[in-house]
Amino acid sequence: MQMLMQTIVTGLAVGGIYALMAVGYSLIFSILNFSNFAYGGIIMLGSYMGFYALTLLHVPFAAALALSMLGAAALSFLNERIAYSSLRKRHAPSLYFMISAMGTSIFLENMVYATLGSSYNAYPEIFGQSSISLFGSTIGKLDLFAIIFSLIAIYIMNYFIQHTRTGIAIRAASYDSEVSQINGVNLSAVIGLVFILAGLLAGVSGVFLGMKYMAYPTMGWITNKAYISAVIGGLGSLPGAVVGGLILGVLESLVSVYVSSLLRDVFSFTFLIVLLLVMPSGLFGKYLEEKV
Amino acid sequence: MLKVDELNVYYGRIHALRDVSMQVESGKVVSMVGANGAGKSTLMMTLAGVLKPESGTITYDNEPLADTPYKVLAQGICLVPERRRLYANLTVKENLMMGAHLRKDRAAINTDIDRMMDLFPIMRERVKQYAGTLSGGEQQMVAIARGLMSRPKILMLDEPSLGLAPLIIRQVFDTIIQLKQEGMTILLTEQNAFQALEISDYAYVLETGSVSLHGPGKELLEDTRVQEAYLGIKQKTVKEL
Repeated sequence: MQMLMQTIVTGLAVGGIYALMAVGYSLIFSILNFSNFAYGGIIMLGSYMGFYALTLLHVPFAAALALSMLGAAALSFLNERIAYSSLRKRHAPSLYFMISAMGTSIFLENMVYATLGSSYNAYPEIFGQSSISLFGSTIGKLDLFAIIFSLIAIYIMNYFIQHTRTGIAIRAASYDSEVSQINGVNLSAVIGLVFILAGLLAGVSGVFLGMKYMAYPTMGWITNKAYISAVIGGLGSLPGAVVGGLILGVLESLVSVYVSSLLRDVFSFTFLIVLLLVMPSGLFGKYLEEKV
Repeated sequence: MLKVDELNVYYGRIHALRDVSMQVESGKVVSMVGANGAGKSTLMMTLAGVLKPESGTITYDNEPLADTPYKVLAQGICLVPERRRLYANLTVKENLMMGAHLRKDRAAINTDIDRMMDLFPIMRERVKQYAGTLSGGEQQMVAIARGLMSRPKILMLDEPSLGLAPLIIRQVFDTIIQLKQEGMTILLTEQNAFQALEISDYAYVLETGSVSLHGPGKELLEDTRVQEAYLGIKQKTVKEL
């Protein structure tokens, strides 16, 4: 029983990070309708920024987290302006965006290989090995912090999207970008903002992933899990991305403990395929169709 | 006054508008009638800044009209697009708020939302519903209200009666008449030529991208060519054009 509790908590911690990434991913998907494969590269660079802020600049953890968020947000914004904005202005099909995103992703990875090397960089111990007892199970402070901070970040993001005028404009533009422009939305500015928001989340997830698993050039591939989470929840749906991330995190952690950690990724992708066969639009499939 | 001069617009490879000239004086209702594919919507989308003209000029109060949609709106020209195109994923209230996206006067926005409820009482029960769940007629009301929320100087209505039941079409035209009485300048496109011409101060007939006829709405209603082509009225003696 205690083992089960612990497994679930560990799963939630990983799931929280998946959820962060999935929300960032979904935000971009909902407004531009393509999978931004470069997102993993942004997360990886965010992780490196956090690592160097802690080890070279010796700033406190909160400052390192903030630096990483701002840096990733700036990179994400540049990613859109350099790689996608010209495609957007020429009304290119989504496939071109995806190819451009893959190119960006490969470029970022190899740039890090060439300049920083392929080594694995362990974050310094922030929370030590300390843990606290909760419901009879021990939880690492890092895991607890990751769960809480991820959920807070997602909550703030969701509040912004649901309740502010800019948030409403983002949702409107993601439904019909042409009409939103007719209603006075500066589409380029709104898309820029969406990439900045996604970048902020990429910074948080980069730092948490770095603390949990180290920072290394190919770590961006973990966004595959964010993609699975987003699909489980229903691509384009933010609550779906959160629920999908948490479900995937917990299930993976259960499989690792009770079946075999080698089968974890096999399970994740099998789960994705089966889910798509049964529920093609995910748990929270996209909104109501327009009535003509 | 909105003035269009010698406008040429290509839609892909199709020469959709050919040397179109027209004008909309303030306080008037001006309509563009014509068959499907005549270029009515192309004209509206070009005025709204969505499509870019190949040549020709568009001026508003002697200033060139902006070529970016949100800047056109800032100049006071608002398009209610064909087929309504509400944000189905937003509530009715959020749709109305999107109409006021460029405005900063929060208090007045809320008063205007209330005013829209008075204009279209059916919306009051629907404010919190997703726009995608409304009937076609209700959606058209919300679409017009969304356009009015920007407090436009010129309201452009693209085919507001499309796909609606006759009773609802009547309501839409009643609303247009009411707006006209309140002093709103309206540019209207319609396939429903009879009703459009009846309420128009001035009208243009578009045929395959060019203006073939224009004149006061009532005069066009009497014009035999318009009657035969658009109103389904056969003349006893066939006149030469």
